[in-house]
Amino acid sequence: MNRKEKLQEYLESIKGRPVVVKLNNGVDYRGVLVCLDGYMNIALEQTEEYFNGQLKNKYGDTFIRGNNVLYISTQKRRGG
Amino acid sequence: MTSSTSVNPSTLLPLELVDKCIGSRIHIIMKNDKEIVGTLLGFDDYVNMVLEDVTEYEQTTEGRRITKLEQILLNGNNITMLVPGGDMPSD
Repeated sequence: MNRKEKLQEYLESIKGRPVVVKLNNGVDYRGVLVCLDGYMNIALEQTEEYFNGQLKNKYGDTFIRGNNVLYISTQKRRGG
Repeated sequence: MTSSTSVNPSTLLPLELVDKCIGSRIHIIMKNDKEIVGTLLGFDDYVNMVLEDVTEYEQTTEGRRITKLEQILLNGNNITMLVPGGDMPSD
């Protein structure tokens, strides 16, 4: 099951890294990923909430319930 | 985990088609006027996918918004269709 291994590998590799989490409703959360599970439940630190590219809010620690997550992206490039 | 059952070689399971796309460009059409193009690295039974060099196309009231992303883990929940080898037709 090589195709699954890539997912597991990615899940492991992004812990502790800055990420962008996009939700189905279009809101972006940028922060440092503390941990996540197979449901895509996510714990973030230093979270910034963006909507339409504008900063709306800042939080310390957040938990995001996995059912809302559209994608988790690692933040190497800025969105264009 | 021996889910690779020995089937008639002339039939191809749907996920085996996706498996053939690993390493190549794939065009993903989502439920909500959203399309994603990227290189497929891997996926699971829910078709959650890891993608690389991703472009996200969103239909908004002000027109199409394009977002470039390096690597993403895409939730399979909102995927409608996968088109192997596809880039956006209108690019």
